[in-house]
Amino acid sequence: MLDWRFWFVAPMVLALGIVVLFPSGYLVWMSLTHWLVTDPNVYFDGIGNFRVLFRSAEFSSAIGVTAIYLVASTAAMLAFSLGLALAFRSPRTPGALRSIVIMPLVIPPVVAGFTWRFLMNGEMGFIGAFLLPEIGIRTNMLADPTGAMISIVIADVWSRAPFMFLIFLAALQSIPRDYYEAIRLDGANRLQEFLHVTLPMIRPAIVVALLFRVIDALNTFELIYVMTKGGPGRATQTLSLFGWKTAFQNFDFGLAAALGVVMVVVTTVCASIVYRRFLRAPA
Amino acid sequence: MIRTPVRAAALLAATLAMAAPAMAQTQVNVVGFGAGFVWADLFGPSGTEKTQKLLDFEKKEGITINMEFADEEVARQKVLLDLVNGTGNYDLVMLGSDGAVQTFSAAGYLEPLDGHLDSAKDYFDASKVYKPFLEANTVDGKLWALPYYSFGAGVVYRKDIFDKYGITEFPKTTEGLETALQTIKDGLAKDGVTDVYPLTMRGAPGEEPTLDLAGFVYAYAGYPAWFEGGADTPAAIKEKKAKPIFTGDFKPGFDTFVRWAKTFGPPGIATHTWVDMMNLYAQGKAVVLMPSAINAFAGIPGSNVPEVKEHSAFAPSPTGPSGKAVQSFWTFSIGVSNFSKDKDAAYKALAFMTSESAMNAFAEQIGWPYTTYPSIMHGPVLTAKWPKTMLDQIEASFTDADPHYFPYIPELTEFMNQVGTAASEAIAGTKTEDQALSDLQGWAEERMDRAGYYK
Repeated sequence: MLDWRFWFVAPMVLALGIVVLFPSGYLVWMSLTHWLVTDPNVYFDGIGNFRVLFRSAEFSSAIGVTAIYLVASTAAMLAFSLGLALAFRSPRTPGALRSIVIMPLVIPPVVAGFTWRFLMNGEMGFIGAFLLPEIGIRTNMLADPTGAMISIVIADVWSRAPFMFLIFLAALQSIPRDYYEAIRLDGANRLQEFLHVTLPMIRPAIVVALLFRVIDALNTFELIYVMTKGGPGRATQTLSLFGWKTAFQNFDFGLAAALGVVMVVVTTVCASIVYRRFLRAPA
Repeated sequence: MIRTPVRAAALLAATLAMAAPAMAQTQVNVVGFGAGFVWADLFGPSGTEKTQKLLDFEKKEGITINMEFADEEVARQKVLLDLVNGTGNYDLVMLGSDGAVQTFSAAGYLEPLDGHLDSAKDYFDASKVYKPFLEANTVDGKLWALPYYSFGAGVVYRKDIFDKYGITEFPKTTEGLETALQTIKDGLAKDGVTDVYPLTMRGAPGEEPTLDLAGFVYAYAGYPAWFEGGADTPAAIKEKKAKPIFTGDFKPGFDTFVRWAKTFGPPGIATHTWVDMMNLYAQGKAVVLMPSAINAFAGIPGSNVPEVKEHSAFAPSPTGPSGKAVQSFWTFSIGVSNFSKDKDAAYKALAFMTSESAMNAFAEQIGWPYTTYPSIMHGPVLTAKWPKTMLDQIEASFTDADPHYFPYIPELTEFMNQVGTAASEAIAGTKTEDQALSDLQGWAEERMDRAGYYK
């Protein structure tokens, strides 16, 4: 007979089952199904979709683009937000300054995308048409494959770095001042302070921020869609854009679901690597 | 004092009595985009009101039209999901003649409209509409949607700049136009003008540029050169086992589109959509906009550049080496969902929403020289605003068009997307034209094979 305490957890288990397990199971089922709007026959296709997916040049290209975007945006965001947090960690920093820094966080990615698209526009944008040519850069950022990637990374860092900044700021402000006083007594300079006190103390915060960032980067859609639509060509077509195109432009739901399954696996693996490498307590 | 249960019963009865007339109305749900732009005569400038015109229709026909406006992409996704799941939440669904009509009709998601045409002739009389707009929505001999705003190909250009560089007449051929564009480019460079480009078109990845690019292919090959022998229906492709010919007759038109975009277009053209080409033209930064001239007419009214307003002129789309004109033909159309619970009522609402009266209201409100009815084209609203010669030329762009200038196959949306992206890649220089077309050919052969065309 079931323990009476089971009934207290049963509603949560049920809710989780409905919210998490059912959609996940449905996704897996779709990924094993030949379900193409242009073909009236819907049938179980085993790993057929995965076979098509892994043979697709567009998928390989999307993997490469996603990897570049993930590494570039994460590294830039980490450096930028950590730098800001270090600069603004003093309690004497005016609150208004911090508010300005976190302002982009409340701007929806679609609006951020439009803003940066117009700023970077090579014919009429303030940055693309006026600022960059003034400093000798004549490349049309959004129409050049490398420029487009740099543009979305810049826009992404501007839009999402405040979240990382907040995590780092909270972590930095929780470091006891005694540690710094002790290391200074030992004759440490600023760099040594950072390397031997600050960095180890905020390491858990960095890992948490990286975990969020990896998941966020793999799922970024609106910003890229609005700024470049994945272009020029496929230069900024990440996995999430490729998935959207597969489902809503090519109407291939089975293939899109297979891509979804692959993305879940990739995200889980990436997040696990970050977790195991940096956060798990040593055995 | 009346006791509470009695009072509650009385209230319930009164509520039911009040609800009775509303319940007798048939509900027709519509999803679309462009609130305030489309059907402002019915739903007001916000898209959330009901005008007297609409209320009169609802009262007369016993049909309540519930309009749901959304962002374009969101609306498209709502349509797709509603149709795929067969829920029938939406009785009328917005479509485009460049993929959705072909795909959804083949999938069995739409109700053929031929059998309904006589049922609401007071509102929509097919014989009064430009035939090509109906042909554009005809797949496998059946009509699947009715056109709302629609357009044919053409060129809008800056006559003052043409005159300045000694080009007194707009070229009639693509060869002549290329020479003219080069003359303008050289002239602008000589005059030190660096922020005005001879040409604006759209080259963003995705399906959008394909509407225009396919028009170049058609003008150069003389037929929709996507499959061997010009096969443009599933039956023809299957019968002839016609393979894609993206590295064959498709190539000259594709190459020209890419070359023009790279040579005469703005530097950002590989990511430009219709919005960018419209803005560039409106800001006086482009001399020629083609072949979807409607995008210039969308930008001119809001332009702050006097020369754009005063010196813009329309010219018919030039003809290619085949003797056929560069095409760009599209209809924003609406179909009846096959899962609608009351298709007759849905069709009646559709007929009302695409009626001469609705299109006349659209012409009054928007004022572009494009309409689906000849009576409106030559009617007081548009003739008061535009020169007759221009209206006649635009009318010819409808009547002389071949709406089937690309294949009418269920996979069209996918093909449009791949072709447009290949063009974007070639314009951006991430691939050469040959590489882009070779990859496209490989993808298309595999895709058609997978779809079972060559069994």
